Amino acid sequence: MRNFEFVNAPTTERAIELLGPQAKLIAGGTDLLDELKEGLIAPERLVNLKANRALKYLRFSPSEGLRLGALTTLSELETDRTVREHYPMLAAAVRVIASPQIRNMATVGGNLCQRPRCWYYRNDALHCTRKGGPICYAVSGENQYHAILGGHLCFIVHPSDLAPALMAYDARISYAGPGGRKTLPLGEFFVGPAVNITRENLLQPNEVVEEISLPTPAAGTRGVYLKVRDRNTWDFATLSVAAVLEMDGATCRRARIVLGAVAPVPWPAPDADKVLTGARITPEVARRAADAALRGARPMSHNAHKVPLAKNLVRRAILKAAGVSP
Amino acid sequence: MAKVLTRVELNGVVNDVWVEVPENEPAAWPKQAELAVLGKPLPRVDGPDKVSGRAKYTHDVNLSHMLWMKFFRSPYPHARITSLDTSRAEALPGVKRVYTYENTPDISWYANRSKLFDTTLRFVGDEVAAVVAVDEHIAADALPLIDVEYEEMPYVLDAETALSPDAPAIHEGGPQDAPGARNLQGGRPSLYTRGDVEKGFAEADFVIEHTFRSPCQVHACLETHCSVAAWQGDKLTVWDSTQAVHPVRESLAQILNIPIANIRVICLYSGGGFGSKLWINKYTVLAALAARDLGRPVKVTLDREEDALAMGNRPANVMTIRAGCKRDGTLTALTLKNIGSVGAYNAGAGVGTPLREVYRCPNVSTEESNVYINADVARPHRAPGHVQGTWGLEQVLDILAEKCGLDPLDFRLRNYSDTDQVRNLPYSTKGLREAYEKGAEKFGWRDRTARQALSRGPKKRGFGLATQIWGGAGGPPGYAVVNLYSDGTAAVFSGGQDIGSATRTSMLQVAAEELGLPADKLSIVMGDTQGTPYGFVSGGSRTTPSQAPAVRMAAAEVKGQLLELAGKQMNLPAQRLSTREGYVFDTQNPSTRKPIAEVTKELQFGFGTGDRVQNMLIGKGWRGPNPADVSVNSWGAQFAEVEVDIETGEIRVLRIVAAHEAGRLVNPLTASSQIEGGVIQGLGFALFEERVLNNASGRMVNANLHDYKIPTMKDIPEIESVLIDLPDARANSVGVKGLGEPPIIPTPGAIANAVADALGVRVFETPMTPQRVLEALEKGLVLRAQPEEGRRA
Repeated sequence: MRNFEFVNAPTTERAIELLGPQAKLIAGGTDLLDELKEGLIAPERLVNLKANRALKYLRFSPSEGLRLGALTTLSELETDRTVREHYPMLAAAVRVIASPQIRNMATVGGNLCQRPRCWYYRNDALHCTRKGGPICYAVSGENQYHAILGGHLCFIVHPSDLAPALMAYDARISYAGPGGRKTLPLGEFFVGPAVNITRENLLQPNEVVEEISLPTPAAGTRGVYLKVRDRNTWDFATLSVAAVLEMDGATCRRARIVLGAVAPVPWPAPDADKVLTGARITPEVARRAADAALRGARPMSHNAHKVPLAKNLVRRAILKAAGVSP
Repeated sequence: MAKVLTRVELNGVVNDVWVEVPENEPAAWPKQAELAVLGKPLPRVDGPDKVSGRAKYTHDVNLSHMLWMKFFRSPYPHARITSLDTSRAEALPGVKRVYTYENTPDISWYANRSKLFDTTLRFVGDEVAAVVAVDEHIAADALPLIDVEYEEMPYVLDAETALSPDAPAIHEGGPQDAPGARNLQGGRPSLYTRGDVEKGFAEADFVIEHTFRSPCQVHACLETHCSVAAWQGDKLTVWDSTQAVHPVRESLAQILNIPIANIRVICLYSGGGFGSKLWINKYTVLAALAARDLGRPVKVTLDREEDALAMGNRPANVMTIRAGCKRDGTLTALTLKNIGSVGAYNAGAGVGTPLREVYRCPNVSTEESNVYINADVARPHRAPGHVQGTWGLEQVLDILAEKCGLDPLDFRLRNYSDTDQVRNLPYSTKGLREAYEKGAEKFGWRDRTARQALSRGPKKRGFGLATQIWGGAGGPPGYAVVNLYSDGTAAVFSGGQDIGSATRTSMLQVAAEELGLPADKLSIVMGDTQGTPYGFVSGGSRTTPSQAPAVRMAAAEVKGQLLELAGKQMNLPAQRLSTREGYVFDTQNPSTRKPIAEVTKELQFGFGTGDRVQNMLIGKGWRGPNPADVSVNSWGAQFAEVEVDIETGEIRVLRIVAAHEAGRLVNPLTASSQIEGGVIQGLGFALFEERVLNNASGRMVNANLHDYKIPTMKDIPEIESVLIDLPDARANSVGVKGLGEPPIIPTPGAIANAVADALGVRVFETPMTPQRVLEALEKGLVLRAQPEEGRRA
């Protein structure tokens, strides 16, 4: 492993000064240390964000909604009473991330900016497109865990459980760089390989995620997070669905369906949202929404099962959120 | 003393071994003997050391001035080294030496098919060079400074492709390759036939044929492979994470051409040994060579990736089983065609033993091919062949039972075999019927339909069972020494090792029983060639049945001396005396007794100026021959309850009842612990574990414990052990058989049958991931639209 310097950044401004092409941010380190040990990155400097206590907060007010500092740990998010009360689906999504030990270390900002788990990307000997190489090994290789939507020369899936859950609650992200602070809907933060094949989001090497904010859910809002994985804990999603339905009796006023582990970005399903909006939720409506969510899916040689799996999961999440028996 | 040849089996390989027949070996305890220590729940004696961290593993051994070794491994599945330049690595400050084929003694490896360092590399992970440096990090930093140029060669990663005539040849026409049999180890399949299978199939009312695919499973020992080597003059000490301290010593003596007596190999504790640590490894030899060359101790530890790439595995198998039975369920014929991938060098990939032996069937044939591929070499992996073979066979049994309209348990009972049909011998003991009965009772097998109602919506309950056979007879060679001291305590020195299976505790119990001492009056040493007499490898479920009779014989010899001593003190003939619970007593008048510690006081006396001097009693024992006229096996049956979500493909194993018979029950605590470990590993095979090789590069893409999934606590179901205590007086003087491997064997088959019961379709490939479950469901929907196959007119 290459030697590197480890510098504390007590403020965002200091972090931005210290950052650059040869530097990496470290917060919980649960992903970064793996990347270092696996030889995927060899930075000259690690900029320690944990020195910046100002980014570690979790605040809720009915008027402002929820504000999460980027350094909030997943454990803090999982156990917070206001989160459990007002955003129960978020707490549920966090509860199935990794393991309790990892959740104690991992941060909200780090989870959103984690690198893909693709086993070709993670193998230092394979020079794949995500690492600037010539081919995506998944195309002709073992691709059972890879993308069925949104792939283009690279077929990773975005590994975050947190991102679909936050996006379904209409989260916004704020990040700062030399040019100042930007705030945008979280969904716009993530970019697919057609936009940038070597990065999963807009964050530049000298920018820092500061905050995630969520509006207060309207009355009648119900959320469900479902995750399928090979193993019962300490495993990334084979497939996940975050569903937030604003219900008025049996009628859905507004819906947000976001899928995880189907595409290189957390995958919103606006077509499904449209099917649900204004509809009385029935098994048939849920089925149509699920079909709409997966429209355009193009499975590869070993991941065709992800299409029916995703449809089943979307349907199940909708019915569960609406309280309709299947 | 008479010497005889006796049959000894290790992992399915049978050898004849010369052994002296003990003249004074104690007779087997009667079945109903009331024993004081054996069969009792003694907590494992090494428990406190392990939970407190006092137990020293090889990874914990650090010596002063110790150097570290790291390996440079082949990045290609098949390549020839065209140039090798280590000068940049050697120039790195802190690097002491770089070993390659150019400066390392010509030591042959892989049954003379290769060398310690070969110029032809046949799998990703094959050793190219080893760096020795002052610390581990510098050694690692030097690796990328080694400049190697390769001529890449065509490669093949799976056995079926490797057998095709245009596949690349992994070994160019050596003497061990028959012409025309490309990549087929030994040039031909191994064949077995009894009866007339064509006739058997003609007699059948139902005939089915299915192909089962099981993947390569790596051992994933918690403690990765490692060694430390240190020389003092011409004496070599090696700490090695091994299952074979004595065989490693002998191999080192042979390879380094030094006397056996000059070598000490130590492995007191090991973090897992499931067959990958059964023999000497390249890194141990190199550590010894480097330590001698450089005059300093050398430590080498493999990382998780290296362990997965180069330290062996359970081979992948493609098994086609054809089976026929009468309408009443009587099996008429069984055939197996097995293609197993042994990796780049010779190994075993047979799976046929359960099919040949478990069920009564007059007409059986098996054809098994061991095939070279460009991947790491297979090694025995906890119940080699039996896990895969049983997984396939037991599913075939269930399919036939369904065709006959018979309960799976009744179908198995109908085909119960009272004899070993391969060797034409009766079984010494066979507790399988009892395992079926008691296991089924504990599980509620006969009432399981009531539990089917617990299926909710898409979550379907299913129930399955599977049968287990394993050798587990053990055999010579195995030696032990017991010392009885003047304070009435005793020390046991046993060959073999405790690889985590609580063998120390078992051996201590055997000695305590024979001596009539409470267990806390004994201590035991295992796993140090200098501190113990010889024992063979601790693998193949052989340690307890091999070493326990030796320990008992040694203890009996000491007991004889003790009774002589006591007889004189008590004015009674020694033959009238015996021992129990720390006392010597008169068998004709048990109230006449004397504490053993009082008897042994006579061994102690003052000497001259008052120094305490003592005599001691010493006994030696060894393992005698195996009986020639019976077949010794251990038996079991497991029952699984699962819940499968048909919309997501997720399988939850809810409950496993594991009923096992391995002769005399030595200790219910450690036996249950052994069973739980086996079930958990079997569950991993059934649901999670698979080495994934990338076709475009030949590299393993999941050589880490995140992507190579082994069960976590949250995946482990309730495991209930049913311990069948059936002392086997013919097997050996303690009546024990091996239990190390048996509990992993039936778990995948029982889970597979439960999953099929839940789904109504079968998953013919492990691991049964959500992907494969959903694919099988999809395929099942297609198949159901077609007429039923296999039914004869």
